[in-house]
Amino acid sequence: MVKYRNNLQCCNLHEKVGSRREFLAKAGFGFGALALSCLPNEELIASTLKNRGINNPLSPTPPHFPAKAKNVIFMFMKGGPSHIDTFDPKPELNRLDGQFLPPSFRPEELNLQFVKAHEAKLMGSPRTFKKYGKSGIEISDLFSNVGQFADELAVIRSCYHDSIIHNPAVNLAFCGSVRLGHPTLGSWITYGLGTENENLPAFIAMQSGNFAFSDKSFHGSGFLPAVYQATRASSQGPPFQNLDPQPQIGVNNQRRMLEQLHLWNQKHLETRRDDSRLAARISNYQLAFRMQVEAPELTDLTREPKSIQSLYGMDDEKSSEFGRMCLLARRMVERGVRFVQLSQGNWDGHSNCDKNHVDNAGKTDKPIAGLLKDLKQRGLLDTTLVIWIGEFGRTAVAQGDGGRDHNPHGFSCWMAGGGIRGGKVIGATDPLGCRAIEDKVHVHDVHATILSLLGLDHTKLTYLTQGRDMRLTDVGGQNDLSERLTKA
Amino acid sequence: MVLITIRTTTLITKFLFVLFCFCSSSLAVGSPPASIVEVTARNILKRHCVSCHGELKVSGLDLRQLETTLIGGSQGPSLVPGKATESLLFLAAAHVGELKMPPGKPALSLQDLEVLRNWINAGAPWASVVASHKESEPTWWSLRSPRRPLIPPVREDTQIRNPIDAFILEKLGEKQLKPAPDTDKRTLIRRAAFDLTGLPPKPEQVEKFLNDPSPDAYEKLLDSFMGSPRYGERWGRHWLDVVRYADSGGYETDEYFPNAWRYRDYVIKSFNENKPYDRFLQEQIAGDELWPDNLDLNKDYYGIAPEKLEHMEAKVGTGLYTFGPEILEDLLDAPKLVNSRLTDWADTTGTVFMGLTVGCARCHTHKFDPISQEDYYRFQAFFAASQPVEIPVVTKMGIFHRNESYPIMLGIDEARRSYRLYLSQLKEKLVDLTKSEFSPKILQAYEITEEKRTPQEKKLALPLILALKSLDENWEDQLTLEEKEEKRKKLQKIGEAVLELPEKDHSHAVTYDGFYDVPKASVLGHREPDLIPRVHVLDRGELDRKGEEVDASVPAIFHYLGNSENESSHVDGAKVHHTRKQLALWLTRPDHPLTARVMVNRLWQWHFGHGIVRTPNDFGVRGDPPTHPELLDWLATEFVSSGWDIKAMHKLIMLSNTYRMTSRYSNLRNIEMDPENHFLWRMNRRRLEAETVWDTLHAVAGTINLKMGGRPVVPSLLEDELAGLPALFLWPVSADPDEHRRRGVYILSRRSFPFPMFRIFDQPDSSISCPSRDETTVATQSLWSLNNKIVLEQATELAKRLVNIDGESASTWVSNLWEITLGRFPSKDEKREALELMKIIENHGELANGWEKMPPVLEEIGPARSSSLIALCLTMFNLNEFLYID
Repeated sequence: MVKYRNNLQCCNLHEKVGSRREFLAKAGFGFGALALSCLPNEELIASTLKNRGINNPLSPTPPHFPAKAKNVIFMFMKGGPSHIDTFDPKPELNRLDGQFLPPSFRPEELNLQFVKAHEAKLMGSPRTFKKYGKSGIEISDLFSNVGQFADELAVIRSCYHDSIIHNPAVNLAFCGSVRLGHPTLGSWITYGLGTENENLPAFIAMQSGNFAFSDKSFHGSGFLPAVYQATRASSQGPPFQNLDPQPQIGVNNQRRMLEQLHLWNQKHLETRRDDSRLAARISNYQLAFRMQVEAPELTDLTREPKSIQSLYGMDDEKSSEFGRMCLLARRMVERGVRFVQLSQGNWDGHSNCDKNHVDNAGKTDKPIAGLLKDLKQRGLLDTTLVIWIGEFGRTAVAQGDGGRDHNPHGFSCWMAGGGIRGGKVIGATDPLGCRAIEDKVHVHDVHATILSLLGLDHTKLTYLTQGRDMRLTDVGGQNDLSERLTKA
Repeated sequence: MVLITIRTTTLITKFLFVLFCFCSSSLAVGSPPASIVEVTARNILKRHCVSCHGELKVSGLDLRQLETTLIGGSQGPSLVPGKATESLLFLAAAHVGELKMPPGKPALSLQDLEVLRNWINAGAPWASVVASHKESEPTWWSLRSPRRPLIPPVREDTQIRNPIDAFILEKLGEKQLKPAPDTDKRTLIRRAAFDLTGLPPKPEQVEKFLNDPSPDAYEKLLDSFMGSPRYGERWGRHWLDVVRYADSGGYETDEYFPNAWRYRDYVIKSFNENKPYDRFLQEQIAGDELWPDNLDLNKDYYGIAPEKLEHMEAKVGTGLYTFGPEILEDLLDAPKLVNSRLTDWADTTGTVFMGLTVGCARCHTHKFDPISQEDYYRFQAFFAASQPVEIPVVTKMGIFHRNESYPIMLGIDEARRSYRLYLSQLKEKLVDLTKSEFSPKILQAYEITEEKRTPQEKKLALPLILALKSLDENWEDQLTLEEKEEKRKKLQKIGEAVLELPEKDHSHAVTYDGFYDVPKASVLGHREPDLIPRVHVLDRGELDRKGEEVDASVPAIFHYLGNSENESSHVDGAKVHHTRKQLALWLTRPDHPLTARVMVNRLWQWHFGHGIVRTPNDFGVRGDPPTHPELLDWLATEFVSSGWDIKAMHKLIMLSNTYRMTSRYSNLRNIEMDPENHFLWRMNRRRLEAETVWDTLHAVAGTINLKMGGRPVVPSLLEDELAGLPALFLWPVSADPDEHRRRGVYILSRRSFPFPMFRIFDQPDSSISCPSRDETTVATQSLWSLNNKIVLEQATELAKRLVNIDGESASTWVSNLWEITLGRFPSKDEKREALELMKIIENHGELANGWEKMPPVLEEIGPARSSSLIALCLTMFNLNEFLYID
């Protein structure tokens, strides 16, 4: 297994004991300079403590090459939004509405979950598409607000993979693998870059409404140390678990306890000076106390003016929840949270796909547009990469009456900010939206692109486990779009 | 990138070690001594070529011996002695010509090529190697059978307690590291108690040990800890990490495994009974094939023969293969399901029992270890005939009794039907009533299906649609009192009928699972012979890229071992698919190179915090080399000759000086030379694991419920902790609050929703085997220990416990508190400070509010004093001394 897994020991937030050698070296203790003694002297101890911050596994780590983006807001549309009703217009599909898929589209080879492509009839999109911005990117009326920012978007219309069912597809979209136990995208990025604000978690995940996400693919650090897992935040009430002292104790008593605790822990440390974990845990109590102060401030949206709240659609019942999440995401990014993940759905429109999508888009269109606008007006969009993606798209052929089945063979996602020069469309699906055909972009390529924009080389961001240097992109990721996306 | 720095260091160390191995085997030859050029050249071959052109003989080429090198492979002879430029080997390595080796990599360095050229031009001298191992044996250390090494001599002035110390001291001497002195008795009992039972020692145990001057006091202590049922819970939990135990299948659907806990109980029982490890392994891989009994009665009405029960238990061991991660949708696709199960089973078996990452060979021949893709699929084929089945763990008599009273179940069903029927009748009546208030025209429009209504009809039907919709929402309010009463009665009938269900059968021999289920275990069984899937080599591991069909066999690298007596290849025709038995017997042969080594290394790790091989699941080329190879082999051979006796190994290890060293020793030379304590110059300080934190809190509070076994317990959680759960029914809280205080090993382990506190304290992800837990120190742990409701509850319970021992004296509370939580008395200063803290909180603290009702015992001392004592107890839970074991 992993060699240095157990070496993770922490100072400040965390520190690796394996690096003790390093701070000894840094402190200038030469090989012969040291006399044998039962305990290291005070000077060594002091340098031990002074240097501990350097070795914090969540401390900011320089990227492999200069980064365009510093932070990520990852919006996951669970269930699989239909690309042909949102970001990938297919006039040809509307023309052939009600007919069978032409043989040239090889319907027999089109693997779908429920529908047999050769037996089902095509279903045109009930949505109207319009060209937006200078770039004239066509977007459907489901996202008319997001459309206002077309010139910020890079729409990728040729995403694909081969998992026709939710569980493995979600795992792929997040972890780059259909198997359990792999770290999620946010964990990889936190592992690669650390955090900028140690008073808050580095990787925060929020989810909307009654559709809860239990799956570890959303939050789990898999084989990476647990430090890198997502902290789940609630959009209402106290943001994180165990943040407030129990009422029977109260803040003042807790402060008194912490003072005494500190003294006793210090005393305990005196005869165990060379165990950095102990010092780490002592400072964790100070950090915990600071978090108790800082975290509630983070989620206190009463500090935001009404105009901002309505910009995010918080004044509309339909969009208020996702609006809240988007506004929280901006506040988190502002405070240096590395990776914010918003999950929303369910977009799984097996029956009456249009109704489903009107509902889900209604909840998200305004908040997302508000987020883009707000990030831009605060100058945060330059360094914040915003991503919109689902685990797959949906079929051009109808499932039952008005439904659409899963389609991983071709679907859309978009990115904005984080150094991207917007107003671009990458790749294309066939005229009916069945398969990606031009400039195909696998989910591994999407991941490689995201890492690249953050200054991380997806082939170098590895972790040794089960005998392999594991990567987020497995053996793929060759079609890294970052260079094209950031060029004018 | 600190992580990367560390990795580089380890890789370099390993690389040097590899070199060292190769050199020593080459240099350990008799005469004539090999020249430097020869040794270097052959090392180059080993480094760059032999992983394919060695044991694996890719393209028929074997570069391990001169003869085979001269013969060459499918491309012709590889070597023309004296003529480098005519030797294919050299040309391929230099990337001159069509064949370029190694494939996909740049040519060898100029330096290496120069060596090769000189060597070939010198006639390719190849001194015959007289190694201590047969040439047919693999070159990698862990794949050769361990040979019992000599115990190193020790200097006369050093004292050792057993051979372990001799091996450890030898290495320390070599590295000029100074070993730490013995630790004190208090620390030792605390260390041993946590190590063997996962719980702190009780004050009376400490007292007894301290006052026992007999020379075998410590040994007696170890015996008593190992004799306690707590031992199996502690060491069973270690094993459950390795076998990726969980109560559900993971992914979003997270299918529940109702019987997984039987395997958990089996493991705990096996450790408690000190089942020999070879038997333990055989049961898990092939309990059903080796002991094919059932619980059918043979003229014995009253009891079941003990060996039958034993055999039944052996079968439960195969439960290991029934709780792997599972995608619900795979069940829709039979070939895919077979494939994903075989993959999990083969990978798990390789990792758990052999410490090899065989799974790497699924998509391509292993890049580092000598396991070919064909080997991998042959290994999978051991499991091809198997499938998970549920078997009753009671006799036919028990099933008979249950079926006899099955009509009670039917009674419940009828009561439920009756209730539902009544409801639908009532509702129908109200619907009719509503409809009767509308005109026939409207009714007519309403009867037309929605899509076929004209706009006019739609308009007509609308008021009725709305009326019926509102009826849907409030029809129950419109019931008459009599109807409501009748409805209540019918509902109550269901409840009564459910309560009629017996919990046990007539003879009280069988306790039912759930409401009325025959207790079952999920185990491995067999498919019908005609339905056994063929196993093919799969190109890139993909199901639709089938290659050659293969039969079950162990990897070719192990064929040198030959067949041992009890693994006759001749099998009974009818049982031709009982292949797991062969695998189990092969793995437990005494000369198996991996089985014993891997297990003693695990035991060592759980005692010391690190293994002798620090990658306990990877004994291959990419794993860490052993820090003490001789010690590992000595322990492995000792383990086998003790009859695979795990408790004997604990004792051996724990009685050594090495185990008894203090952790509070350090000197700068040691720290500088060996900062991670690879060579064990002192004891490692250990942080309590997730479950141990949980258990210890409840143990010191005196609330722990030591009931063993049974279906997983589900403690209640706070609302924000439950936020990650898709539906509340997935966390069915145990009704009896006593169950919430069971040991951590019994808490429900859902793959997609780990118990929140456990995850905070680094409980591993149970998707794959976890050989050693991470240890992180993060602020969320401190927040939990300070603020979580359960911690406060246990602090309150601990306060109660103290007041129960002595109702008055705060000074006594403090002394007892230290003894209970830390296993020692407070110093004078600590006592004074503790009393001061209490005083401050008592006098100046705002009277703590929030108590619904102060527990009665605490009421006696008043709310202010209670609050201060509880706060002190809570403070203790947050001490480093509480969480770390010296």
